Amino acid sequence: MDKNRVKLDQLALLYLLLITGGKFLSLPSLLAGDVGHDSWLAMIFSFLWDGICLCFLLWAIKLNSKANMDISAILDKSVSKVVSKILLAIFFVIFMLRTMILMSSCFEMFSITFDVSTNWIVYVIPIAILSFFAIQKGFNAIARTSQLLFGLILLAVIALLASPFKEVQFTQLLPIGEAGWGKILATSYLRSFWFSDYMFIYFVLDGVKIKKRVFTPMLVCFGIGVVITVLLNAVFVALFGSYAPDFDMAMSKIGAFSAASSSNGRWDWLTLSVWLLSVFIKIIVFIFCAYKCIEKILDKSFANVNWIVALFIVATLMIPMFVSTEQLLSTVILWGVIPFTLVQYLLPLLMPLFTKVALNKTEVKHE
Amino acid sequence: MKELNFDKLQTVYRGQDDFRLREMDVGIKLKVVCLDSMCDDAKVASFVLQPLAYIRDAKTIDDIQTKLSVGNGVRKPPNFFAIIEDFTNGYTLLFDEEDNCISVDTRTVIGRSIAEPPTSMVMRGPREGFVEDMKVNLTLLRKRLKTPNLKTVNLTVGKYTNTAVAVCYIEGIAQQRIVDDVVQRLQSVNVDGVLDSSYLARYLDVSKTVLFRRIGTTEKPDIAVGKMLEGRLAIIVDGSPMVLTLPYLFVEDMQSPGDYYENSTMTTLSRVLRFISVIASVLLPALYVCMQVYNYQIIPLRFLITILNASESIPFSSLTEMIIVLIIFDILREANLRMPSAVGISLSLVGAIVLGDAAVQAGLLGAPAVMIGALSGIGLYTLPDNTLILSLLRLVVTLLAGLMGLLGVIISTLVLIIYLASMQDYKTPFLAPFTPDIPADRQDAIAQIPVPKMKKRPRSIPNANDERRG
Repeated sequence: MDKNRVKLDQLALLYLLLITGGKFLSLPSLLAGDVGHDSWLAMIFSFLWDGICLCFLLWAIKLNSKANMDISAILDKSVSKVVSKILLAIFFVIFMLRTMILMSSCFEMFSITFDVSTNWIVYVIPIAILSFFAIQKGFNAIARTSQLLFGLILLAVIALLASPFKEVQFTQLLPIGEAGWGKILATSYLRSFWFSDYMFIYFVLDGVKIKKRVFTPMLVCFGIGVVITVLLNAVFVALFGSYAPDFDMAMSKIGAFSAASSSNGRWDWLTLSVWLLSVFIKIIVFIFCAYKCIEKILDKSFANVNWIVALFIVATLMIPMFVSTEQLLSTVILWGVIPFTLVQYLLPLLMPLFTKVALNKTEVKHE
Repeated sequence: MKELNFDKLQTVYRGQDDFRLREMDVGIKLKVVCLDSMCDDAKVASFVLQPLAYIRDAKTIDDIQTKLSVGNGVRKPPNFFAIIEDFTNGYTLLFDEEDNCISVDTRTVIGRSIAEPPTSMVMRGPREGFVEDMKVNLTLLRKRLKTPNLKTVNLTVGKYTNTAVAVCYIEGIAQQRIVDDVVQRLQSVNVDGVLDSSYLARYLDVSKTVLFRRIGTTEKPDIAVGKMLEGRLAIIVDGSPMVLTLPYLFVEDMQSPGDYYENSTMTTLSRVLRFISVIASVLLPALYVCMQVYNYQIIPLRFLITILNASESIPFSSLTEMIIVLIIFDILREANLRMPSAVGISLSLVGAIVLGDAAVQAGLLGAPAVMIGALSGIGLYTLPDNTLILSLLRLVVTLLAGLMGLLGVIISTLVLIIYLASMQDYKTPFLAPFTPDIPADRQDAIAQIPVPKMKKRPRSIPNANDERRG
């Protein structure tokens, strides 16, 4: 069995978990800081762009279904080896940065919400061990894990969303578009040009088992993910109004609404812990992609986890010890706009074309 | 000059007190040999010696083979290896002057009678259990599967024990590829001796799993047949009442022998309870420690006050206290397994009551910790075959919860699930039908639909024909 091969429905569920897994930490408060109560609109716009890119990427998967070429092979054959390596290097930076942001948000959540005070090294090492253990077991095991936990995590998210629902003042969301549509669009772009969750699909292109329908399961899961995320963002802004920008860790703050009474206990923390499983799955997937980037840049395929690559990734994950999350984010916005936009928004649109070119070249070679 | 088989046999068994040799003249000169300890005297007398006494005109050993055919199992071993195998199994060998040999089945039958197996008692359903004798076990299977499609592949494993092994399957249901794979693996086993089927289970575990069992075992023929009807193979090992079944799924641990003889709604309820109790057994001590050390806010205030009152004078930290409770429980369980049954019950009661109560009274352990530990320990027994490994896992999860709080619980849970999800032997994912999701197989996973509605065989198990009917 190829340990990195997954079924399309597993991939779709994993994608849904990735959407719900990281967007409920700092992002809602950051968006609220930029465009106030219109943050949910900014979220919708970013998802619109994601949806279009996802469709193109799925088209590429369909074209690639028989040849099963990986991202590196497609890029090598369509845009030359040098460009391919540069793009893979950009991917590596994106995945590492996103992992760091996710991990530092979780670190904050554990230390503030769950009273677990520790240092960054002690926090990173167990997560790195978990991630490399998962990489060793293969992407198939990660996808199966997400399939198993999917129902439980979704229930936890729904429970967290539903419990404060009666307190929500949706009038807080009016008037719609008050921040100005231009600003909302700009925010949706600046806050999400490297935040799309479909990017991991690039690194499993060669391992997706397709039966009949390619678009339906993925788009259904994408749709559910969008509805949950936008709803949560709207609930967050409606609950906290103008204070929303001051409340990062949106999920834990929403949960606090439903279990504020000490006589009931903070049961929401247990549901929050269940939801955190999806955040950790997201971290694992990003580290898997970063690891694959290095493999492909080096033109190697390690049978077992290569400890030098693993150490390099762990060393990179230590950056947040020296740079704050805010500094990281502002640096990304300053330097990463063009390269990150290129791989997130332009590359998917070109992927079907690149796949066709690569397929044609492969056929010519065989003839 | 080539050494004769008879001479070789004599050389091998020289000096053995139970080596019996008798020379007879039945028209040709015959040497009759047997191992006294392995042969039934009555069978040797009635199937070999008595008929030979009346034969006067035999010209070849084939004539004798024809005339002895009243006896049970008369055959010609093709080579010296087969001669030795028959001889050590209790066959009586007859050699002529040209060293031709025939063997007559005179094996002695020693063993206990068929009884209800102590490991799988049922309220309803058949009470017959496998015994140590392979032939009896095969009969128990054939009694339930009266079809020519029940096939067996007979093998011998073990350099010194020469243990007989039978791979049983239903042709047309089991996948031939898996049968061939299993037979090949058994043929390649190179070991001194096979004393029980569990020896072979380790060789059949393709991915060499450290934790969890990958090969099923059963002591009940009805369960073995049920599994064979789903496409699995049953492996009978001579000398062992435990029959191996494979491929094996995690969900089989949740199923009890009596499940198929009860109402399906009640079965579903029981399985849900088992499932909850297993999860609670592993996670409850960890969550308790986590809540005590880091996240006491999760506990409702009045409940928290009760717990604090009960544990305020305890000299240990919550983590140490829970680890002590879990280890004491494991010691009691281990001792109880090895104690003579006559004193086992009373001593385990003394252990539980005296140790637990005295520790709480003395202020060494808190009552809530003892209660959580006991609850978790009892819950483990809903998965009797994996109790030990789950016990180890709950210790690890508890330790991580004490050191890292909810982060430790989350990480250990994910490691465990990823580990389980990655396991796949004989093209069968261990966590099927949950992941990969196989909707058709949910009919008999946790929930069970009534037997008349089960029209398809489980797809999780590779089979040659998934229709249960027709």
